[in-house]
Amino acid sequence: MASFLLRQRSTQSDLEPPESLGEVLWEEEVERICSTKVALQALPYAMMDKRLIRHLREPDGVKTSFWEQWKKKWQRVHQQFLDVSHRLMGIFGLWKTDLYEIGGLFGTGIQSYFTFLRFLMVLNLLTFLLTSSLVLLPLAWLHSPEPGPALNTSYHCPTSREPQPDLSRIHLHLWDVFTGRALSNTYLFYGSYRMGPESDSQYSVRLAYLLSPLTCLLLCFCGTVRRMVKGLLHKRLLSRDYRPRLSSKVFVSWDFCIRSREAATIKQHSISNEFKIELQEEQRTLQMQQQTRKQRARQLLSYVGLNMIIGLLVVGGISAIYWATKFSQNYKDESLSLLLQYMSPGVISLVNNLGPLLFGFLVQLENYPPNTEINLTLFWCVVLKLSSLGMFLFSLRQQAVLCSGRSDHSSCEPHGYNQCDQCWENSVGQELYKLSIFDFFLMLAFAFLITLPRRLLVDHLSGQFWVWLGREEFLVPKNVLDIVAGQTITWMGLFYCPLLPLLTSIFIFFTFYVKKYTLLRNCRPSPRLFQASSATFFFQLVLLLGLLVASVPLLYVISSIPSSVNCGLFSNYSAPWQVVPEAMALRLSPSAQKVFYYFGSNTFWYPILILLSLTLTVCLSQSGANKRAIKGLRRQLLWQVREKWHLVEDLSRLLQESGGSDSWGPESPSSRSSRPRSFCPGFPCPGSPRSRSFMDPGK
Amino acid sequence: MGNKQTIFTDEQLDNYQDCSFFNRNDILKLHARYYELAPNIVPMDYRKNPIVTVPMSVIIQMPEFKENPFKERIVASFSEDGEGNLTFNDFVDMFSVLCESAPRELKASYAFKIYDFNNDNFICKKDLELTLARLTKSELEEEEVILVCDKVIEEADLDGDGKLSYADFEDMIAKSPDFLRVLYRSWPI
Repeated sequence: MASFLLRQRSTQSDLEPPESLGEVLWEEEVERICSTKVALQALPYAMMDKRLIRHLREPDGVKTSFWEQWKKKWQRVHQQFLDVSHRLMGIFGLWKTDLYEIGGLFGTGIQSYFTFLRFLMVLNLLTFLLTSSLVLLPLAWLHSPEPGPALNTSYHCPTSREPQPDLSRIHLHLWDVFTGRALSNTYLFYGSYRMGPESDSQYSVRLAYLLSPLTCLLLCFCGTVRRMVKGLLHKRLLSRDYRPRLSSKVFVSWDFCIRSREAATIKQHSISNEFKIELQEEQRTLQMQQQTRKQRARQLLSYVGLNMIIGLLVVGGISAIYWATKFSQNYKDESLSLLLQYMSPGVISLVNNLGPLLFGFLVQLENYPPNTEINLTLFWCVVLKLSSLGMFLFSLRQQAVLCSGRSDHSSCEPHGYNQCDQCWENSVGQELYKLSIFDFFLMLAFAFLITLPRRLLVDHLSGQFWVWLGREEFLVPKNVLDIVAGQTITWMGLFYCPLLPLLTSIFIFFTFYVKKYTLLRNCRPSPRLFQASSATFFFQLVLLLGLLVASVPLLYVISSIPSSVNCGLFSNYSAPWQVVPEAMALRLSPSAQKVFYYFGSNTFWYPILILLSLTLTVCLSQSGANKRAIKGLRRQLLWQVREKWHLVEDLSRLLQESGGSDSWGPESPSSRSSRPRSFCPGFPCPGSPRSRSFMDPGK
Repeated sequence: MGNKQTIFTDEQLDNYQDCSFFNRNDILKLHARYYELAPNIVPMDYRKNPIVTVPMSVIIQMPEFKENPFKERIVASFSEDGEGNLTFNDFVDMFSVLCESAPRELKASYAFKIYDFNNDNFICKKDLELTLARLTKSELEEEEVILVCDKVIEEADLDGDGKLSYADFEDMIAKSPDFLRVLYRSWPI
């Protein structure tokens, strides 16, 4: 075999002088390969050649030092340990075969949505574990008083209104569960947590309750930013000229995980579409560069006008949500009808479903390139979704805050808020709880009452209309926005409803199976497939925005809004954050307190800010210098290669003139069969004239 | 360690472990799959290093490759004779490069080989046209194909010789975060 020849050649070379320049180059190549630190498995050569290299690197007879032997042994053990731990993690890897099946049938773009679902479920479970271990377990351990509303000693309160007698009992119980009223005295809601006054020796449940949502949000923020930055670096680092758009599409777009014929056909179709779109964009860019200034101004105006119209629509949708919430809060306590209780979630869903349709229609009226269309629609959908949630929370708080802590209750009576039986945190928590449940059931309703019948009708009926309608498309961005909205609601409710993450993870668990069923049976994949990497970046970005939308109100409430007097852990404080200074005063020495106060003061943060600005300036100027260096290096590379080929031509001309029999031109492919093929992975083989400095990869 | 099997000697298994990203169990599973492909050719006992090859036509029927437009090129790049007939060593090599633990540079080297249809260590325009034809199954018009090939050479050719060398290819791949999805499988073996 060829590799045996090589082995003989390498041993012979010690005895005889090398025959030709080719041999010298060959020996140098072998030496270089043997001396690199690259792991054996990562070398791009055939198995027999790798064994040869292994033999050359560590000949059997030579005694290796004690250190080397120990290192090798440790590496083996380490590798085995990693293998075992990977296998254990594999057992806990939920849904691995489901993800594999989906990826094989529909590609990795849609699979990334399901991976994202799993990630969010794990996130929620971890949040719940953190909360329960920091708050619930100590509460149970310290034998705190039973959860329930406090005894009101200072107010004369009427007994709570009896429910209407014509509803049956089961109805009532189920209804109360859905509105959260049945659970309002459990640990699900803020109002039922109780604790004695702060002391310096006991575990401070108040502090834990306050800090656990903040810690969870901070950890989620760090995790999301970390994942996002990894994808960001590749995308935006280089300027437009250096980004290989089309070339990477040619080499990187085929998905090697696809295993079914339909998915392969769809992928081929989508790749062709992508090429066509890219070519169109190229033409369009060329056209735009030739436009006059007037035309450009007109285009810009129409773009701005379109965005303003859509912005107005968004504002309109959000105000509708505000009025709906206000209206429904007025009639909170009457178990009137489905409509009023779930009015605000209903309006939110209506706005969020109509909005994208409208935006898509408006954007298509103008003749924009497809990428711009999609990005614009997506951007406004995200804005609509998150701002509707923000407005919902804001309007809730408006009602609650206006009416708590006031001596004059007359204006609040009609709203149902009075000092007696209201705990505004509980009502906010209940609203968020209702929204969560409503979202889940809406998802179920869409899946089983709209998508499934549509599939049945399209499959069994014939006619122009049904053929045009077709099965529903599985749109990844829409589904991701829905799930991120759900997660934002959970994050918003961390303070008011500490067990909401558990509920959300249960919902996500069922959502996975329902979505999988919908995808596999009732949907067709959209012709515009989502690339996996841009998908991950998009998911993380939207998640981050949701996190910000959830944290800002929370921080505001914790620091400035007084809590209800009657319920919860913070009833005696002007704002929940006041627990922290009190706890510090109780437990820490005065000097430690001074240190903490210094960290919170201006004199600490101003220098830090200045330092950060300096660092940012340095980084920016460094990246500018790097870009210039890249430009210069590319020019140099061009010149050097041209010089090389000039020299090759000169040399072959000279040799031909001098009548040399050995051709020094680049070797033709057929003469390479005598060498082991695998030693030339992409480099011109030794034997062709090259100097090492050109082609030395310098790895 | 400790399980009695008569397919390989311990030394052979150690060699395989060192030269690939698999451990002992994975190698045995791979051998089982290799055997399934052609039970009348492949021996169960590899201790004497038998020289056995499985032809390409059988390998490209494997479910992992069946729908891949580059299946013949993949198998040919890993075969020692260049025709696509794989020995067990080549088989292990192939799955080792395709698995999740293989680093990007390794996958890039073999990806270059796969896309280099005429084996001249450069991806020239003809290679690009063949690649495109396989990717899009002739859904693109001829002039579109030529346009795309021109654009690719323009974007990726750093040294200006009109074709892509390995250095150009690697540079272009390094800028694509999606590359790890190429030559990548997350299958259980």
